Amino acid sequence: MSEQEQNSQEPDHESLLVLEEVCKNFPMNDGTTFVALKNLDLKIVDIPDRPQIVSLLGPSGSGKTTALRIIAGLDKPTKGSVMITNGIAGEMRSVEVGDVGVVFQKYPLFEDLNVLNNLVVPAVRVGMDSQEANKKALGYLEEFDLTKQKSAWPVQLSGGQRQRVAILQQLMRDRHFIILDEPFSGLDPVNIINVMNLINRIAHQHTLNTFLVITHDVTSALMISDHVYLLGRERDAEGNPIPGSRVMKEYDMIAEGLAYRADIEDLPRFAEIRKEIKMVEFPKL
Amino acid sequence: MSSSEAKAERKIPFADVFRVYGSLGAFTRYNLIVIWVAIAFAFWFLNPIKALPLPQEVWDALTKMWVTPGRDGMVYNIYVTLQLNVVGLLYSALISLIIAYLSIIPLFQPFNKMVQWLRYIPIVGFNLVFFSLFAIGWPMKVAMLTTGMSFFLVTSMTGVISAIPRMKYELARVLGYNDLQVFYSVIVRPTLPQMIDMIAQNAAIGWVMITAIETFNRTEGGIGAQIYAYNSTNNLAAVYAYLFIIGIIAVAEDGLFSLMKRVFFPYSLIAERA
Repeated sequence: MSEQEQNSQEPDHESLLVLEEVCKNFPMNDGTTFVALKNLDLKIVDIPDRPQIVSLLGPSGSGKTTALRIIAGLDKPTKGSVMITNGIAGEMRSVEVGDVGVVFQKYPLFEDLNVLNNLVVPAVRVGMDSQEANKKALGYLEEFDLTKQKSAWPVQLSGGQRQRVAILQQLMRDRHFIILDEPFSGLDPVNIINVMNLINRIAHQHTLNTFLVITHDVTSALMISDHVYLLGRERDAEGNPIPGSRVMKEYDMIAEGLAYRADIEDLPRFAEIRKEIKMVEFPKL
Repeated sequence: MSSSEAKAERKIPFADVFRVYGSLGAFTRYNLIVIWVAIAFAFWFLNPIKALPLPQEVWDALTKMWVTPGRDGMVYNIYVTLQLNVVGLLYSALISLIIAYLSIIPLFQPFNKMVQWLRYIPIVGFNLVFFSLFAIGWPMKVAMLTTGMSFFLVTSMTGVISAIPRMKYELARVLGYNDLQVFYSVIVRPTLPQMIDMIAQNAAIGWVMITAIETFNRTEGGIGAQIYAYNSTNNLAAVYAYLFIIGIIAVAEDGLFSLMKRVFFPYSLIAERA
């Protein structure tokens, strides 16, 4: 039975990741408590026969990094739960560190390992057969134009090459859920397109692949995602932000007819949503 | 400044020698070393500080001591001190690495801090402790040198471990590493080249300690004991001959550590250049 046939037998809109009433507080030096997240609800569902690319969009200080750390299992929420599926319908469990791959913003790699070993060694350390890991890594390197760099040290890679290695490193373990932290940060427009193409290309390697893009880049988030969630804080009557971020708005790009469109930038609705987020929603967050 | 003026300025010979991070070719760099060594020797030959023995006097003392056989000879005393230096360095490196690596476990953090504070105490302050624990002679000298150097090495090595970016730990955690794998892959392996740097830096402190330690334990000789003896008889030429030898050994040790990094950790040199 092919992978696609298997997927087609699974119920539609199966939950892949569910955050329920997630709160995160930090004690401050002056004895007060800083509320970073408050009742954050988020559900990422399976899209049949397609990978999921979801963006968590918000301005600086909106709690994106805190949310990332909780979803990745690096931090525990003060309250609430984060449940993740292991790919089998209906089987949800609490997230543990290691369940979700994370491509950190500055693409840290093991500097004492060459490119090939940066892919092979972590996979072998967690139980993959070394020959299998080697074969898989060489396949990835060839597919993503990194064969020439297989013996290079991370310090010798360009920013783009480093990013690709960092993503492939996370994919080596057959995990389908990967978080990308600010993948477009500091890039020029041409490289932003390249990174979007790369994410799309890697995501489409498996229909269960789910990429959660954490970003403040409105245009890129809208162009790449099937769902965009705006993260931010509510305001009181005087316009002051109320402590604790949560999902303030969701944009279903599939329902809007904007997802998977190569010509998305030419569509009037795309321009409307972008303007709405930039001019109306972002200033409120 | 116009472009022509900028070009004219560029043509000034050796202008980069005086610029901040000026870019020099290999030839210029080696010539600079030669010039500085020549200045040092010129200073020595001109001898403005009358306390310094002249190079010829030092050379004569050196050649005389070099051919002297037995315990009074230079070869024997260099051997004794070099042996102490190598053994002390190995022991202190091993002990310091263990104490520094244990600093990641909260239980051992206060102990690590205590060891770091002890570097302010002169090692001779612990003479009585060493007297009561070790036999006078080789065991006591090794123990004093190892302990004294470890105070400094633990401080430097713990600094290296504390400087590991948190993101590196988290990368290993999200890749599914357990505690032991995180310890080896994030803390031990990547820091080894820096640990070699720390050992190289502290080897110099070791030489300062050796001369003091051998002054207290003169039974087996050694460079420190010889320097003490020649200082007592005001034979400064012999003292400076030994200091000259220490300088040569130090340069050789630096070269050896650099070679170790080049052979075992080539990526660290590429990273330094980058």
